[in-house]
Amino acid sequence: MPIDLGRVQKEIRDIDRDKASGVTIEVQGNSVQKLIGCLKGPRDTPFDGGIFYVNIELDDQYPFVPPKMRFITKVWHPNISSANGAICLDILKDQWSPALTLKTALLSLQALLSSPQPDDPQDAVVARQYMGSLAEYEATARQWTQTYAHAQQVVGLEAKVQQIVEMGFGREQALAALKRANGDENGAMEILLGA
Amino acid sequence: MTFDVKIKKWHAVASWTWNAGDDVCGICRMPFDGCPPDGKYPGDDSPVVWGVCTHAFHLQCINRWLQSQAEQKCPFCRRQWEFKQAAVGGEDSD
Repeated sequence: MPIDLGRVQKEIRDIDRDKASGVTIEVQGNSVQKLIGCLKGPRDTPFDGGIFYVNIELDDQYPFVPPKMRFITKVWHPNISSANGAICLDILKDQWSPALTLKTALLSLQALLSSPQPDDPQDAVVARQYMGSLAEYEATARQWTQTYAHAQQVVGLEAKVQQIVEMGFGREQALAALKRANGDENGAMEILLGA
Repeated sequence: MTFDVKIKKWHAVASWTWNAGDDVCGICRMPFDGCPPDGKYPGDDSPVVWGVCTHAFHLQCINRWLQSQAEQKCPFCRRQWEFKQAAVGGEDSD
């Protein structure tokens, strides 16, 4: 059975309409089954001031199976892989329910940034640092936010995105590749051409 | 003065609705009075069912969810899902 398009389109509209939620979503290319979510780093956390992009893939079975989500932006957090952005969060696994939505999932990611769960880590190195030396963890997380997720960096990105778009790639595709290559245009082109 | 009125023709119009409180199904997000994605006709073809936890869904939607799960839980409250018996005799079921 193909994906329930009606529900997905309704979900995207709901997120677009709700300007106060702090999360946004954009379709990547032609299919609504590949999306990019965006959330702001919560206040009073080392992620404050950061803008975080999340790659979202929807299986044909969605919403009967959870959306596949992975951080595109590099994040230093016990429950997020510092290497590939994989997320350890129960509602994205066995605690998923079809009553949840892309919006509630993105908001849950925002909540996860505020309250790490080091007992159930995705990144053992980060979790060990979080348990052993909180100050050190916060400093590293803040530094990563500034290096990879800072709004200014994102503004600088815009020009590079434009350049890649002019070469004929989609906007979201260009953005995703640049994010993965940490803003390096050549690296982004390699990702785009290799994909 | 009286009128002698003769009715030649009349159209009856009725409306119906599921008495389901919330207006959309929490799974497919379509109105209860409409169809779930794989339903063709509203009404008897796309019935609405309740759990004993009082949450309502299209029958097709909740069935598909329960069939995909080892544990039978309500998508809203995660309580054990059990179908609430339909009320007989025009009693409200919500």
